[in-house]
Amino acid sequence: MSTFTFATAQYDSGDWDSAPLVPPNIIDTIARYTEIEVTPTGAIVSLASPDLLRYPLVYLTGHLPVRFSDAERKQLREFLDRGGMLFVDDHNHDVDGVFHKTATEEITRTIGEPKELPNNHPLYAAFFKFTDGPPTTSHELNGWGDNLVHKNLFAVMREGRISVLYSSKDYSSEWGYHPDTKRFQSVDNTKFAVNIVVYALTA
Amino acid sequence: MTALERVASARRTLGVAVGVRAVLSGGAAAAALLAVAGILDWLIGIPRAARALAIPSAILLALAALAYTLWRGRKVRALPVVALWLEERVPELRYALVSALDAPHSSPTLEREVAAVQWSPVINRALGHALVPPLLVLAASATLLFALPAGVRARISEPRAGDALLRAPILAAPMRNRLTPLTGEVVPPSYTGEHHIIMEEPSSIEALTGGHLVLRGQGSASGITATVAGVAAQPRDSADQWRVDIVVPAKPAALELRDRSYSRTLIIAPHADSLPVVTLSAPTRDTVVRTPKGALRLGADATDDYGLDAGWFEYIVSSGEGETFTFKSGVIHRVDAGNARATKLSGELDLDSLQLKPGDLVHVRAVARDRNNVTGPGIGVSETRTLRVPRASEYDSIAIEGAPPPDVDSSQLSQRMLIILTEKLEARRTKLARADVVKESQAIGSDEARLRQHVGEIVFARLGAQQGTEDAGSNNAGPAHMTPDQLLAAANAATQASAGATDFGGDETPVVAVNRPLLEAYNAMWDASRALEVGEPGTALPPMRIALAAIQRARNAERLYLRGKSPTVIVDINKVRLAGKRDDATSSSRLPRAVLDSSSERRAERFDAALNDLAVNSSAAIDSLLALRVDALEPAPALAAALAPAIDSLRAGHNATDALVRARRIAAGVTVARIESAWGGAW
Repeated sequence: MSTFTFATAQYDSGDWDSAPLVPPNIIDTIARYTEIEVTPTGAIVSLASPDLLRYPLVYLTGHLPVRFSDAERKQLREFLDRGGMLFVDDHNHDVDGVFHKTATEEITRTIGEPKELPNNHPLYAAFFKFTDGPPTTSHELNGWGDNLVHKNLFAVMREGRISVLYSSKDYSSEWGYHPDTKRFQSVDNTKFAVNIVVYALTA
Repeated sequence: MTALERVASARRTLGVAVGVRAVLSGGAAAAALLAVAGILDWLIGIPRAARALAIPSAILLALAALAYTLWRGRKVRALPVVALWLEERVPELRYALVSALDAPHSSPTLEREVAAVQWSPVINRALGHALVPPLLVLAASATLLFALPAGVRARISEPRAGDALLRAPILAAPMRNRLTPLTGEVVPPSYTGEHHIIMEEPSSIEALTGGHLVLRGQGSASGITATVAGVAAQPRDSADQWRVDIVVPAKPAALELRDRSYSRTLIIAPHADSLPVVTLSAPTRDTVVRTPKGALRLGADATDDYGLDAGWFEYIVSSGEGETFTFKSGVIHRVDAGNARATKLSGELDLDSLQLKPGDLVHVRAVARDRNNVTGPGIGVSETRTLRVPRASEYDSIAIEGAPPPDVDSSQLSQRMLIILTEKLEARRTKLARADVVKESQAIGSDEARLRQHVGEIVFARLGAQQGTEDAGSNNAGPAHMTPDQLLAAANAATQASAGATDFGGDETPVVAVNRPLLEAYNAMWDASRALEVGEPGTALPPMRIALAAIQRARNAERLYLRGKSPTVIVDINKVRLAGKRDDATSSSRLPRAVLDSSSERRAERFDAALNDLAVNSSAAIDSLLALRVDALEPAPALAAALAPAIDSLRAGHNATDALVRARRIAAGVTVARIESAWGGAW
């Protein structure tokens, strides 16, 4: 087994680098809970680059409108056709924000429309068990009751496997802190990232 | 007439005979070749490429025969040769002609001897021998040609795609398989301006989605059935042929034709009209403009596979910061491409008219639309270029540490969600019982009250209150500067003042002025809560929207999202390795690879069944593999691609083992090693 490298997608439009601390935090989490060989730093890969095919899982986030170029769309389609998995997280945690609208539009145009992922999907038991589906973020909760939380993630499936995982929960904010500060937390809120990585590598 | 004159006359006659014989021989050779070709085509069928050579070959043969005949008769031009030829056939001349030719002066004796001999019967016999045989061959060949069926003559004289149907069947109609011969005519959509394409004996037809496909065969349509992806299409009679018209579907499909016990399967492989390809040539890169004045030059190239309809530039100006953005957009320099396959777009974007402010972003892209009026129109867009107007404070910024959003952001999000919930309830209100409306409305009202309470806490905190709620403020020492009553009064004042004045007058403190939007929100939330409590979600919506707008104005987050290389954090893997608690981890129970899903499993079973049939009924097995390929084209393109060479090899009678092994591995979900793979062992 070769070493896993966590890759962040760089795209021409929008602010692809809005969550620079998420990759090291996830890398820290992978090392903390699993024996997966992981590189100590993440990689940044252009969506339009053939290098995209070197990574099994690519993370994409941002706040601003997303418009893929033809080259990005073509390369992304190739990446997904060949079994790669794209994890898209709306950094706006915004139910009708511009990122959500444009990113879902681009995903639909590239591979298909994201559909609601059932909360008993194997993703939620890929490593840690999340019996209620995706873990909530502090930005969703804020103490205002469960009915204000996005209850599901969305996904584009390919032959029973998640090809694109789309989140409106803003994990990019939730996990966007320096990994060294994790030791001060009573509960590690990045465990779900392990499930995403393990699922991408094994499903 | 002297002897010489008579010999010259005979030479002319024989010369004409040689010429006529040459023409007749050429015609006879050409006609014979065409007749033979026609008979062979009628009996066994000749490929179109070979038939296309029949006319040129006939012409060449005719010329060759003509030239050969003329060459053989070339000596007729020489008078002595003609004289000798006559002497040989008329012994009574006793060399008088030769002697007359050799003598410098005419001898009366010789002239008399020659005059006494008549050689016209010899000439006439010679003409008969020379002209009758080629004339007979020509007549017989022409008779044969005209006796052949008209379709066969057309196939020889004008071979073209689709003329297989012109070949008259030899077997009687009841015995015949009407599915062979078969022609397919692809009729592209009219907007493409493309020509029709006719194929003979097609097994797979590629066509543009939205076009038409016409299949034709010999005989009546009665008893012939056609189904495309399980949907019946109705064949009909057309002269002495049957035809079936099909609209090319968007997805690959199998076309099943049946004539009594005969069947035939064709694959319809549609391809979509490609979107226009648009390349933005100017501006060439993203840029930062400190003083947004003047004009931005725009340029783009657009191409399309069939033809462009129009092209234009689009711009979006995003203003704002943090997570609050406003957008305005526009279309400029629209041009009519006039069905050209390539066009250039150019123009300028007037930056002055956009009234850009520091922090604004201008996104520009070129757009082109094709003329696809069947499945489109297809719209292609270029890459987006961004022009940024920096804020004065940005020049020294290098990175911003990520942080959770401030409380105001959270409140704003929650308020938006509450509005959505209320709007949904209002939409369903007429269908629900009043008690249910009140119940749900009160639930939202409860959340609205908690949100209002949180906003109050934020204001208290900013005003220097101790930790606690707005209620706690009245019980404890309370805020340093305001009581809750004062807060509410300030909120009311803020709401009233917002209608007109831009700031507070009188004795308003600066702290209240800073928090005025939140106080407005606080007050509007009261109104919303009251309406929700009595089950009036529609009444609650206006103040909820006012509260949302006020909270948005109150946002104080200052986030900068710089483009460029992110700060690098290197994780100490060895230090943190397995340091986390994994009590609820389930990794040990996971298998390396899941079993095939049901659809993949079915495809694998169908593949195995087809392989088993190969030894018994190869034709049926090939049909099964064809059907499997059709079904796999979309959900399992790798399998479909692997099946194609296997089917081709089987049809051609070649060794298909390697192709079948490869297809079998893909069907079974086994990873197939690809030398050209760019997956560089990332895991």
